[in-house]
Formats: sequence, structure tokens, C-alpha cells
Amino acid sequence: MSRVWLVLYLATWVLHFVLVSYVLVGSGYALGQSLRGRDDDPLAARIRDLLPFMLGCGITAGVAPLLFLQLLHQERFYTANLLLGPRWGAVVPALIVGFYALYLQKAATTPRWRRLALAAATGCFLFVAWSWTELHLVMRDTPSWVAMYAAGERFYGQSGVLPRLLLWLGVMPVLFAGLAAWWSRGAERQRLAVVAFVGHVIAGVAVAWLSARGSSVDPVARGWLYLLIAAVVIELVGWGLVLRRPDGPGLTIVTGAATAAMLGLAIVRESPRLALVTARPAALEASGVWVFAITAVFAVAAIAWVVKTIRD
Amino acid sequence: MTSYPVNEFGPLMKGLVIGGVGILHVFLAQFAIGGGVLLFAMERRAQRGDADARRFVDGYFKILVLVSFVLGALTGVAMWFTTIQVGARTIGLMIDEFHWLWATEWVWFSLEVVAGYAFYRFGPTLSDRARIRLLGLYAVSSWMSLFWINGILSWQLTPGRWLEGAGMWAGFFNPSFFPSLLFRTAVALTLAGLVSCVIINTMDLDRARKQALISRAAKFATPIALMPLLALWFLAVIPADSRAWLLGGSMPMLMFVGVAAGASTLIGGYVIVGLVVKRLYINAATALLLLALAFGATAAGEFVREGARKPYTVRGVLYSTSITPAEVAGLRARGAVVDDPYPLRDQHRYPNDQLVRGAKVFRSLCDACHTMAGANGVQHLVATWTDDQLRLNIAKLQRTKGFMPPFAGNAEDVEAIVQLLKWERARAPAIWPMTTPPAQVQTWLDEAGIHPAPPLEAP
Ligand code: HEC
Ligand code: HEM
Repeated sequence: MSRVWLVLYLATWVLHFVLVSYVLVGSGYALGQSLRGRDDDPLAARIRDLLPFMLGCGITAGVAPLLFLQLLHQERFYTANLLLGPRWGAVVPALIVGFYALYLQKAATTPRWRRLALAAATGCFLFVAWSWTELHLVMRDTPSWVAMYAAGERFYGQSGVLPRLLLWLGVMPVLFAGLAAWWSRGAERQRLAVVAFVGHVIAGVAVAWLSARGSSVDPVARGWLYLLIAAVVIELVGWGLVLRRPDGPGLTIVTGAATAAMLGLAIVRESPRLALVTARPAALEASGVWVFAITAVFAVAAIAWVVKTIRD
Repeated sequence: MTSYPVNEFGPLMKGLVIGGVGILHVFLAQFAIGGGVLLFAMERRAQRGDADARRFVDGYFKILVLVSFVLGALTGVAMWFTTIQVGARTIGLMIDEFHWLWATEWVWFSLEVVAGYAFYRFGPTLSDRARIRLLGLYAVSSWMSLFWINGILSWQLTPGRWLEGAGMWAGFFNPSFFPSLLFRTAVALTLAGLVSCVIINTMDLDRARKQALISRAAKFATPIALMPLLALWFLAVIPADSRAWLLGGSMPMLMFVGVAAGASTLIGGYVIVGLVVKRLYINAATALLLLALAFGATAAGEFVREGARKPYTVRGVLYSTSITPAEVAGLRARGAVVDDPYPLRDQHRYPNDQLVRGAKVFRSLCDACHTMAGANGVQHLVATWTDDQLRLNIAKLQRTKGFMPPFAGNAEDVEAIVQLLKWERARAPAIWPMTTPPAQVQTWLDEAGIHPAPPLEAP
């Protein structure tokens, strides 16, 4: 059953990540446009309108990997939570502030307020992304736990956290652009393609930084790494097509390739932890799985119905 | 046995930390659940031609989304993080046992979010049929999240036949499942009714029309009349020792029960006599006051629910100290803290190794419910005790008070805590002698045994 957990963990984490990418980069994009005096940019306006909803979905989507993580790596996850302590506790207040800031920027009547609200939101979400990255690394670093506790140290070695965070800050614009492009046309799509290119450059720098620090991909995940690389290449080609013919097939190629790339990325990201998954008594694992399965099928149908209803 | 690092919360007891977040979360979540049902009913009225009801529905929904989706969802996430801070092993056990039901709860919650946002954004432009169905979906899914989480939470106090190996479903549909489900549903409706009264007051209507809406909304608060019955049912199914503790065994508990009952009676009296029978008008200030009372009642009620579990977090399975009953014998033999890899953060404060040990023992065995000198501070509780009184009462911890677990350490550990308490009482002098435990301490430990005290587990 722990395989099922793993698959659900990976799938829901990817979903979570795509949504919060939209939120973090979308807030940053809208802020940038506002600072440049481009408050009339229709793309930014649409993004601003959608941000609270996307954050609601992103947080809800985050609860699912949170659940499965507690099955796969219970002791590590709890220990990292406890070690970071009050510093970790700041994540929820940051999210609350960020959430209301997103409503505030929608209601704002002056550019000044809008910029303030967007800046606050972007800052909060950056903080949250940084915190999750740090937590992830603390979880994996068992040998450092006791010393970290003894010293009352609430920050974990930033030399490892920062390049990893930079990698996410490179991947996120790509996902944001891929999602936002579906609600855009023409020149807007071209602008999003530029955002995606910038994301790739940032991610490239982060990968170089990580390898210079001696990070490498676990041999078990080599195949997935090749998939990831191939998918990214195709995706870049897709963005190139979008630049030349924004409303042509480029975006479809980008979407397909980015989905494959996220699959590869999620597994490569997970590979160092695979050997650490905690074994559990088999009897515990299955009870109630059918209730979950039936509910999930019903929910998918219901959500499809909701989408259809609001489209009509 | 897994040892987790322990965080100190200063003079605040850990229970208070989680209690604070928990109360806010429960209050908001119940408001959201009741709101779903109330809006569904109001929408039906609106569709029979009541234009005010329709304006009310759209206005109320905005508040529901702003307050309960944002704060409700995020205090839910905060609940995870705070429960981990307070009792990682407890939440781990709950996840291990009920993860698929928890995942089911998450699916319902996601559905609630989707239906809620869809109504929030598109409600005003949708057809009547679509509106009522969307609200119906919203109401059902929010109540279903309560349904699933309620089974998991009530299991902690009354695991019932699950303890005899009857399986997960026996644990889920445990003896307090239905009383607490109905109780929470009634509270949810009452809260929604009271919030409505506040919102109706802010609407731009003349008094007669507001009055008409208020009489409708107030009907939703009437389930509060069932609360005494549901509370009695709940009291009847919980373990005898918990009941005894709530109803007099502990003064603070009795007071909280009193506060919850008193506040509910006041709200119930006002709602039933004033609003429903006499059809009085209620202004925003009074409605807010009733809501504040309801918040107080929720707070007291949650406090009672948390407190009633002591000395366990999961009845019969895990003590509040994150130690299982089966582990106590081993810890008696080996000592309480040999497996704990985490040193003290303030080790330099203590003049000798025995006091360091005492502080570690305190951290593992007492810190879950006590502080040294703050909330429920042991210093205050033992201020007048002599040395042997300290040794006896700590060695026989579960007999000192039935809601404390048996002491899960050896005679050296008892002595180390006793010295620590005396040293703190003496205002932490720089020099302190080491002692060895008198032989009697072992005798007391043996007499107390490793099980909770009768009448907890009377044969
Ligand atoms: C499950 C929670 C819990 C744990 C664990 C716990 N206590 Fe208590 N203890 C309580 C409560 C609740 C009281 C009652 C306080 C009151 O009466 O106001 C109490 C009361 C006491 C008293 C006063 C008893 C009296 O008769 O006045 C002492 C002394 C005490 N505890 C010491 C300890 C020590 C030492 C430890 C650790 C070895 C410990 N407790 C562990 C919950 C706990
Ligand atoms: C805007 C808000 C958020 C942002 C920007 C964000 C960002 C991130 C990032 C960058 C990671 C990857 C960490 C890494 O692997 O180094 C991550 C992981 C994760 N996030 Fe979020 N997150 C947000 C909110 C949330 C919320 C609210 C939850 C839970 C309810 C959540 C649950 C998770 C989980 C469970 C993981 C996996 C952690 C692991 O496996 O180690 N996130 N998030």
C-alpha cells in the first residue's frame, strides 16, 4: 500500500506545486506590471482577479501531500516541524496575511494600495516557499537533528536551502506561464513565453549551483532524469513556437511536455528519500481505501458538473 | 519508541497553545457548516419569490467565503502544525489508523471549496436550478467533512470496541460518534443563525423586512434547545472516570462545564423565547453579544473535550506524555530518558547532573500537562510539600490524581525530579548536593504499579 501512498503523494504534490506557482509568480508578475505603471495590462488584471481562488485551491491541494507525507516519512516530518518550531509556525500567519492581501489588491482603488498589497502577498508566498524548502532539507538530514536542537537553532544551513529555492523559483515561472497562457492569446502569450524562458535560465543557474555544491541525482532515478531533460527540451521548442505563432500548436506541445517534465521532476526530487520510507504494519494500510476511492470518483464527477454549470 | 524533540512554550502550557488554535478553528468550521444548510434553505425561500432572502444569500455568502474559507482553511492547516508541536506521536497514530478516512475528508473539503467558490463568483448570474444545486452540494460536502473528522476525533476519547481489535470501523463509529456529531451539527446551525442576525442588521432594508428575515434565520438557532439532551447523551457514553472528573472531580473542569452550559442556556433562552416565540427584533450589537457567548461556550466545550481525555490522548493506547501503557514497564526498568537523544537547551543552568536528569525527566513525563512555574505550574502545586510527600506523590503519580499517568521512570528519576523541584523552589542556587533515592521510593513505585489507578481500570 505504501506504493499507492507514494503515487498519491507525487500526484497531489505536483498539483499543489502548479497551483502555488501560479499564485507566487502571478503575484510577482502583477506587482511588476503595477510598478511599471502598467495597471491597465489586461493579462495582469485577469491574473489579479484569479489569484485568491488559485491560492484557495493551492492550499487545499497542499493538504493532500501533507497527509501522505505523514505516512511515508512520519518521524522525519514531525521532527523537522519540531526543530524549526516557532519559525515554522510563522508559515500559517504568513499565508493568512498573503490571502487577505490578495483580496485587498482586488479591492484596492489606488495603485499605491494595490502595489503594497501585491508586494505583501509576494513576500509572504516567497517566505512560505523558502520555509517548505528548508523543512524538506531538515527532514532528510537526520545527523544534524540533535545538534540543531541543542543549539536552539531555528534556521537550517542556508547554503543548501538557497540553491534549491532558486531552482523552484526557476521552475515556477514556467508553470505559471504555461497555465496563464491558456487564458490568453496573441501578444500576451508571447510575453508569457518570455517569462517561461527567464524561468528556464534561473533554473539552469540553480542546477549549475547545485551541482557545484556536489548534488547529484540518485542512480535509481536516472531514467526519470533523462525523461525530464528530453521533456524540457521539447517544452522549450514549444515555447519557441508560441513566440512565432502564439495561437498555433505551441501551447499544446508546451503543456504536454511540461506535464511529462513535472512527472520526471517529482520523481527525481523524491529519489533521495525513497530508501527512507518508513515501513508500516500491513493491516493498517488498507482499511477504508474503498470509501476514499468511491468518494474521489464522486468528487471528480461533481467538480466536472460544477465546471460545466458555470460555463453554461 | 520514537523520541521527538520537545519545544518549550514558556509559561504557557502546551494545551493552551493548541486549545487557542483549535477553538478558533472549530468555531469557524462549524459556522461554515451551519451556513451551508442555512443558505440552502434561504435560497429555496428566495426562489419562491422572496427578494430579500435572495439578497441575504448573496451577501452572507461573501462573508462566509472571506472569513471561513480563508481563516477556516488556514486554521485547519495550523491545527496540523500545532498538534505536531504538542503531541507528534498522537497525530501520527491517528494518521496511521485513519488515513484513508482522512483522505476522504479532504476530498469532501475540496469539493466544498470548489462548490463554494463557484457560487461566490458565478452565483448571481446562474439559473435558479444551478444555484440551488450548487448550494446543496456545498452544504452536503461541508457537513460530510464534519462527519468524517468527527469519527476520528471522538475515537480519541472513546475508542470503544476498537480496543478489543474490532477494527477501524469500530473505532470510527465509536460510542461518542453520534452524540458528538449531532451536538456539533446543532452548534453549527445555531452559530449560522446568530451570524445571520448580525448580517441582516447590516443590510439596507427597513425594519419590518429585516424582522421578517430575522424570524426565518432565528429558526436555525433553535436546535440549541436539543443541546442539554445531547450533552447528557455525550456524558453518558464517556468513560466513568472522565465523567466524574468533569462533574466535580476537577474544579477547573467543572467550571468549564458550567460556563458552557450557562452560556448555551442564555443563548437558547434568548433565541427560543425572544426570537422564535415572541418574534422580537434583535439588533447587531445583541446578536454579536450572543455570538461572543457562543464563542465562549465553544471554547469551554473544547477545553472540556480535550481535558476529559486525560491521562490519555488516545484512551487506553497513548498517554498524554506520548508514552504507551505497554512501554511503562520498560521505562521503569531502564529509566525515563535513556532513549531520549535530545539534550537540554539550557543545560548550563543546572549545577549538577542529577538536576539535569531531573529536567529531562520533567520534559518527558510532566511537560505535556504542566509548566514549572506558569500555567498548571508544579511549583505552585507543591509549594507546601515536604520531601517525602514529594517522593510519595510523584512515585504514585496515578494515585495522586487519577488523571495523571503512572510514573514512567525508575527511583533515580523520581529523586531527580524531587531535587529539581526543591532546587527551583530554592531559586536555583549555584551549588546543590547530589542525593540518592531513599529505598522507600522503589517500594512506592512498586505499590503504585504500572497501570492507571483504580477506579480507572477497575476489574
Ligand atoms: C496527563 C496530564 C498530566 C501529566 C502527564 C502530569 N500531570 Fe500532574 N497534574 C495534572 C493535572 C490536570 C493536575 C491537577 C491540577 C489542579 O488540581 O489544579 C495535576 C496535579 C499535579 C500535582 C498536584 C497534585 C495535588 O494533589 O495537588 C502535582 C504535584 C503534579 N501534578 C506533579 C506532576 C509531575 C511531577 C508530573 C510528571 C512526572 C506530572 N504531574 C504529570 C496533569 C498531569
Ligand atoms: C503560497 C503558498 C505555498 C508555496 C509558495 C509553496 C511552495 C512549496 C515548495 C517550493 C515546495 C517544495 C519544497 C522542496 O521540495 O524543497 C513545497 C512542498 C510542499 N508543500 Fe507547499 N507551498 C505553499 C503552501 C502550502 C500549503 C498551505 C501546504 C499544506 C497545506 C503545502 C504543502 C506542501 C507539502 C506537503 C510539500 C511537500 C514537502 C516535502 O515533501 O518535503 N504547501 N511547497
